[in-house]
Parts: sequence; C-alpha cells; structure tokens
Amino acid sequence: MIKFDAVTKKYPLGNIALDNITFEIDDNEFVFLVGPSGAGKTSIIKLILREMTPTKGSIIIDDLDITEKKFDNVIKLRRDIGTIFQDFKILNDKNVFENIALGLKVIEKYDHNLKSKVKEILKLVGLSDKEKVFPVQLSTGELQRVAIGRAIIGDRKIILADEPTGNLDPKTSWEIIKIFKKLEGKKTIIIATHNTDIVNSLQKRVIVLKQGKIFKDHRTGGYEL
Amino acid sequence: MKEIISSLKRTPYQSLTAFLVLFLTLFLSLILFVSLSFLNSGLSYLETRPQVTVYFQTKINESDIFKIRDQLNNSNKISSIKYISQKEAFNIYKDMNKDNPLLLEMVTSDILPSSLEIFAKKPEYLPEIAEYLKKQGGVDEVQFQKDIVDRLLTLTSILRKTGLIFFAYLIIMSIVVLTTTFLFKIALKKEEIELLRLIGASNSYIRAPYIKEGLFLGASASIVSFLILISIILYLNPFLKSYLAGITNLSLNLYITEIKIWPFNIEFFAMAFALSLVFGSTIALISSFIATNKYLKV
Repeated sequence: MIKFDAVTKKYPLGNIALDNITFEIDDNEFVFLVGPSGAGKTSIIKLILREMTPTKGSIIIDDLDITEKKFDNVIKLRRDIGTIFQDFKILNDKNVFENIALGLKVIEKYDHNLKSKVKEILKLVGLSDKEKVFPVQLSTGELQRVAIGRAIIGDRKIILADEPTGNLDPKTSWEIIKIFKKLEGKKTIIIATHNTDIVNSLQKRVIVLKQGKIFKDHRTGGYEL
Repeated sequence: MKEIISSLKRTPYQSLTAFLVLFLTLFLSLILFVSLSFLNSGLSYLETRPQVTVYFQTKINESDIFKIRDQLNNSNKISSIKYISQKEAFNIYKDMNKDNPLLLEMVTSDILPSSLEIFAKKPEYLPEIAEYLKKQGGVDEVQFQKDIVDRLLTLTSILRKTGLIFFAYLIIMSIVVLTTTFLFKIALKKEEIELLRLIGASNSYIRAPYIKEGLFLGASASIVSFLILISIILYLNPFLKSYLAGITNLSLNLYITEIKIWPFNIEFFAMAFALSLVFGSTIALISSFIATNKYLKV
C-alpha cells in the first residue's frame, strides 16, 4: 500500500508542487494521476521513487516511512518499483534486449533465466523481432515499449508511468495502454497522464490534481479537465 | 571483457591518457626497484669481501699481531678477523701464479707479509678501524675499500631517499591524473548512472564497470612496462656481464627469504612483475573508486 499523509512539497525557489495532499493506493490498484502541466503529477512519482523528499508530511510504502531521515533502504525500495520516465531514459549504446535486461540485472538476483525472462517481456511489449535493434533505429512508440519492458521485468510490485503516451499518436497510445491492462491486478500501477480519452474509456480510479492539491478522487474513473 | 573494450573504444583519448600515466608510473617504478635491488645487493656483496686488510712488516712477531687482533675483537665493531700467516700468503701466491713458474721461483714465504683480513659489523666503522691500525707498530700497509664502500653507501642512501620521494610523487600524481581522467569518462555516462540509481542499482553494481576498466588498464600497463624493461635488460646483458665479471652471485635479502638477482633469475623478475601488477592495479582501483564516489550519493 502507498499512503500519502498531508504531503507538501515546496521547491527551493518557493513554488509549491504539492500542497497538503492525502491519499492511499491499495496493492495491485490501477490509478491514473491526472491534471494539467504543473499540477504535481511528476512530483508524486518522484516522491514515491524517493528521488526527492517532501517538505512536510509522510509517505508510507508497505508499512515503511520512506520520508524518515533514518530511511536507508532506498536501493531496496527502488528495486520494488518499475518506472517509465517521461523522457524514456533508454541507453543508446545498448540494444533493445540489453536495455530491457538492465531492469533485471540491476536487481542482482538474475541467473541463467535472464535470457528467457527478457524474451518473455519482449513478447509482452511486442518487440520480439527487434531485440538486436539499437534505440536510434526505433520509433517513439517502440522506445516507450522498451521503457515499459525495462520497468516491468524483475517482478517489481509497483509500476510508475510518467506521461507514457505523451508523444504518441492515438493508435500507439492505445497499444501502450493495452500493455498496462495486461498487468492489471498483478501490480500496483500508477499512470500520470493528461490523455482524457484513455482515462475516460478505461474507467479506473482517477486522482485529479490542480495546483498541487487533490481536486477530485474518482474511484470509478472518468474525468474532465 | 566485451564491456571493457567497448568502454575503452567509446573514450579512446581518456583511455590512452590513463594507460600512458599508468605505464610511465609503473615503468619508472620498475626501473627504480631494479636499480635499488642491484645497489643493495652490491652493497651486501661488498660487505662479504675483506673490508680492511692490514699487512705487517716481516720482522714483527706473530704474538704482536694476535694482540692487535684481540684488541680489535674486543672493540665490538668487528664481525670477523682472519689471520693470514706468511706461509699461507705464500700458498695463496703460489695458487694465483701456478701458471707462471718464473714468478714462483723468485718468491719465498719470507718476503711475503703476514696479514689480517677484517670484516666490520657496519661499513661506517671502516675508517675508524683503518686509522687504529695505521697507528700500530709493525704495520706496513693498511688497505680498505673506503672509496667504493663510501660511494656505494652514499649512492644507495641518496637513491633510497630520492626514490622514496619520487615514488610518493609518482603515486600522488598518477592518482590525481587518473581520477580526473576517470571523472571525464564517468561524466559522459552521467545519465546512465542516474538511470541505474533510479531503477535500483547498488553502488557496487554502478561502480563495477569502472573498477574493471581500471584494473584492465593497470594490468595492461604493468605488462607493457615489464616487457619493455625486460627488453632493455636483455639488450644491456652483455655489458652487465663484462661490468660485473668476477661477481658470481648477487642476492637481495628480503628478511623472510633471499632472492638471487645476478646472474639474472626468473624469481626476481617474477617478483618485480607481481609487484608492478599489484601496484598498477591498486592505483587504478583507488582512482576509479574516488572518481565514481562523486556520482554515487543516493
């Protein structure tokens, strides 16, 4: 379970990214974080990943307060989270197979199963025929699939996706969302997006953010900005 | 290995700089090590030769010679003293000139002086012993290798001190240059390191490729510097053979064991290579460790 308790995040220059927000996300829940640019979606993702810490309030993940100063298990926390970054962060000197394998290698638990596990993920994200291809030869949609593959490999419990359909055409966006749908019920999935079509048609929980505050929290989905 | 090669290819100039710095450091250190080994063993060799030889006038009584010997023995500065009587001196003379009967005919034991061959506990005592002997009655001549021992002592001392300073300078300079070079290399992979941190890589996982690359560079630099040193030594071998003619054996005392260094033997070179390998790898390891530290704060 992920619990935000009265979390405020102020940046050094004084702008408030999140203002006293409280919410809970259950295990294996599928949640959309929506809102206009600057609403605080990416800040929530960065806080869960402990890329930054809140100015006030606490964040509890699986009974562990990750905002405590004493919290020293950042590596273990991040090994439970698969993140799809807004800018993909795909390594250009590694091919598709190696980029996806990285998600498993960093956990340092893999053995001889690495190859079969990567192949399994390549099939899931629809890149089986491109495992030897380098990122420069891939389209934006394919890069996004590689990023998803890297995030979901290694049995990570939580998947965070920051604008996964941001630069994609509607058809490719739907294909990407289909991958997340395949994972539904198996992992906690948090998708930050402002793609209203997808959010409305999937009918999942939607947390609407505006100016750093929770504007609405729809359990059954759908929203309008 | 594949990862190391591709990383070296990706930053060829930085890799070359790191290799050259390591190579020069190891090459100079190897030369220093071999020179100091030779000088030390040369000094030890000289210490095994009679260091002071005092020749007595033929008229002196043997008892007077023994009195001088006993006084020297009581001074606590003497390691050993060997008495060579006129008869023994004649036997030595005969042995040395056995191929020249004419010389043998001309000499009898009466005209050869008896002598004492003295070995001091420390080379520093030699001038004092020689001065003492010169003042004794019945002494014809005092010979001692003052110049050679003095020069060797001075040279060894200077080389040891400057070697130590030079060695420390080499280590510091190498670590600074290598750390900077590795920092340049790592800066190019800043985004990759950032990603690895965010997806849960441990510090040791992130550090591993740089450490491996450092070890590879350290090992290859030590192999190349060793091969060049061996080539130089093989080239100089005929010259060294004539220069050190008469010296049958030079050994380096390492407290726990003694290693023969002349004539050249494989154990000495194996030790030099092992030291250079350990030294090169350690420098590279420390430098890559310091350089990666900058990017590993979670």
